[in-house]
Amino acid sequence: MTSVSTVIDSENRDEIAPVSAGDRDGPQDGFRETVGDIYHPRPRLTCRNVDVCYDNGAAHAIRNVSLDIGEMEVLAMIGPSGCGKSTFLRCLNRMNDTIDGCEVTGSIRLDGEEIYSKDLDVVPLRARVGMVFQKPNPFPKSIYENVAYGPRIHGLAANKAELDEVVESSLKRAALWGEVCDRLHQPGTGLSGGQQQRLCIARAIAVSPEVILMDEPCSALDPIATAKVEELIDELRKRYTIVIVTHSMQQAARVSQRTAYFHLGNLVEMDETDRIFTDPQHQLTEDYITGRFG
Amino acid sequence: MTSTETRHTVHRFDDELNEIAKLVDQMGTIAVQQLRRAVKALKKEDPARAHKVIRRDRKLNNLDIEVDEKVIQLIARRAPVAKDLRQIIAVAKVVTDLERTGDEARKIAALCVRFHESDHHVPSDNILRDIYSMSKYVSVMLEVAMQAFSSLDIEKAFSVLLMDEELEIRFDSILRHLSTYVMEDARNVGHFVDIVLGIRALERFGGHAKNIAGHVIFLATANDVRHLDADEIRQLLDLEEE
Repeated sequence: MTSVSTVIDSENRDEIAPVSAGDRDGPQDGFRETVGDIYHPRPRLTCRNVDVCYDNGAAHAIRNVSLDIGEMEVLAMIGPSGCGKSTFLRCLNRMNDTIDGCEVTGSIRLDGEEIYSKDLDVVPLRARVGMVFQKPNPFPKSIYENVAYGPRIHGLAANKAELDEVVESSLKRAALWGEVCDRLHQPGTGLSGGQQQRLCIARAIAVSPEVILMDEPCSALDPIATAKVEELIDELRKRYTIVIVTHSMQQAARVSQRTAYFHLGNLVEMDETDRIFTDPQHQLTEDYITGRFG
Repeated sequence: MTSTETRHTVHRFDDELNEIAKLVDQMGTIAVQQLRRAVKALKKEDPARAHKVIRRDRKLNNLDIEVDEKVIQLIARRAPVAKDLRQIIAVAKVVTDLERTGDEARKIAALCVRFHESDHHVPSDNILRDIYSMSKYVSVMLEVAMQAFSSLDIEKAFSVLLMDEELEIRFDSILRHLSTYVMEDARNVGHFVDIVLGIRALERFGGHAKNIAGHVIFLATANDVRHLDADEIRQLLDLEEE
């Protein structure tokens, strides 16, 4: 069951100040409050005091996280396994709704609109906030159908010609068109791992999302396929806001403009990526990114 | 140069950093020795000793190359970030400065050879006194800079920057002092040029010590202080005025 403790007054939606974890819960394992800069001058997603608990409160996965995700930026979320970065990512399009006993509290707003509002329909939300997973998961259908599926069910194409156009432009934006244009009706599962992942990205962008969430999108790919996806992320940033969870520090450094470091469910530090990787302010961040964690 | 307090998960990484740190320490020790030995050769009027200093400069050159190679390998293999990255960049810069201090010490040794292996009239101890005092000062600067590097001591590093300001004042004053020798006795003109070149080499030696101190501050604080004056640096680092 998912619940939202903070009901946002739409008139005053910009006025929620983040509360420091230290003020609320007291210092925890070297962490008191997020250092760096959680704000963005042009936020698309505004998260304030987000808590996530599993097993009906028995496991506290995210603790009072507040941050902005800005337009046309790539935000990288890094941290050791179990730190909550994927859990937090899944909060951004309510993927956690599908998990029994998961409770999300706090406020997450997309362009000012509370996404955990009771009135909000999650289906269009997930079209606006698309997701690409760790393992490429194309549908067992043709390449064409993989991309056409979303626009068709969301009614984004009036006829076949429009649908063809959406498929072509999505595959082009995913830098896959040149490799598949002559075999659109062959199974998507027949592509290589890197191509399958780009097909999944094409599928996500076919429904014209505003935000794309990527959960370790390159962890199953070889270096060449990884480089192609990273190049694609850089290209997609011109149109979309991208949030990427990655275990590769080098990838975070390469693709993102800002980086958030999570530790034991806390957002320890968030700042410009350049700064995080040259002069992090928190010892926990320094220890993690230099390989001295733990 | 102490690597970070916590061990790296890959212990070999720490070992590699420590190996590099040892080589840098060794270079610092040799650089100071080179200057002291060059000045001793000058004092003892011993060109053989000076030749030894000149030959030994190769040791510093070789260490410079060895450290650079290790730095390149470490960057390629370990992709260091944050303090590790600053450390490795600082090391690369420090060894360049140390190699150059060796070049300046060699110039002092070459002065000795020039004075005592040619038909040159040997300058009096009086006229060489400025070289002796200045060499003592700049070798202390380098020693303190290397201590600051080993212990990442910002205050010590800052003290080297202050010493460099004093060095510049001394340099100007020595130049004025030397010009009086020429005015007193025109026969001193030949030495004047040699001694000025020697003083200039020592001033540069001190300049390299100052650069090393700047690298220490960059390593420890991530602040690039190369083009700031002492007051600005004091303010930036929140150091107390002495």
